[in-house]
Amino acid sequence: MADYSKFESLNVQILGISSNIPFSQKTFADSLKLHYPLLSDAPDLKTIRRYGGLNPQWDMTTAQRWFFLVDLQGVVRGQWRGATNEVFPSDPILKAVREIAAKR
Amino acid sequence: MSWPINPRIVALGIIALTTAANAAAAERSALSNLLKAMNLSSYSSTLQPPEFSGVTAAGQKVSLAGLRGRVVLLNFWAAWCLECRSEMPMFERLHREFSLQGLAVVGINVREGPSTIRQYARELGLTFPLVMDPEGTINAAYGVIGLPTTFLIGRDGRSVALAVGPRDWASKPASAVIQALLAEPTPVKGSR
Repeated sequence: MADYSKFESLNVQILGISSNIPFSQKTFADSLKLHYPLLSDAPDLKTIRRYGGLNPQWDMTTAQRWFFLVDLQGVVRGQWRGATNEVFPSDPILKAVREIAAKR
Repeated sequence: MSWPINPRIVALGIIALTTAANAAAAERSALSNLLKAMNLSSYSSTLQPPEFSGVTAAGQKVSLAGLRGRVVLLNFWAAWCLECRSEMPMFERLHREFSLQGLAVVGINVREGPSTIRQYARELGLTFPLVMDPEGTINAAYGVIGLPTTFLIGRDGRSVALAVGPRDWASKPASAVIQALLAEPTPVKGSR
């Protein structure tokens, strides 16, 4: 993620979650030199299902590219849906984080 | 029922166990240093490589289960990948040097046809198995998103190391890594 340091400076912990097994997630993370953890929801996909993020285009076996912003109280404060093959811009999420931080 | 305990035997037993544990820790540390020298990423002990089976362009069946007890160097490649091409002669050298000692070098091709693979093998003089993965299922299971990507698997079936991008597999550290893995004990059949 290109804007990782911006999120880090705002005290945001980024977590990635997918239907992949931990082995393939490590390859993926090493390939992209990711600085944040990837969590595996395989094989039951319980978390992805609870967030409503199963992908109907892949027979509900993978996650859709969705983003959730959870505040310090554990409340979901924002949700964004990424298009399939495009880089999702960080700006809307960063804006929401700054708004939450300003109100504290 | 109680057994008379000979303190001398107990003391010797503890010393023997401690010595074995120290030796194993020293071997792990030495291997870790070799992996670092090659800029290889290591695994936690809990991650097992996904099982796979496939057929080479020459029609030979290859599966990870069938390679049990051997050290496996698993390289994902494609003919269009320039950095893969420079690694291939080094893998061939490792194959020729260490296969009799228990090294299995296996190439997993990415979505190319048998004629492309056969021609590539002829051109570069490759004799180790080149498995076809026409649907990319083995690639997906291993999470490969860039080429070359290479995995090292121990005789006991554990994931040892990962290299994303090319490495100098003709180097002394590379040989030392392979030799260190080959020196590990071969597990008893059915224990993995």
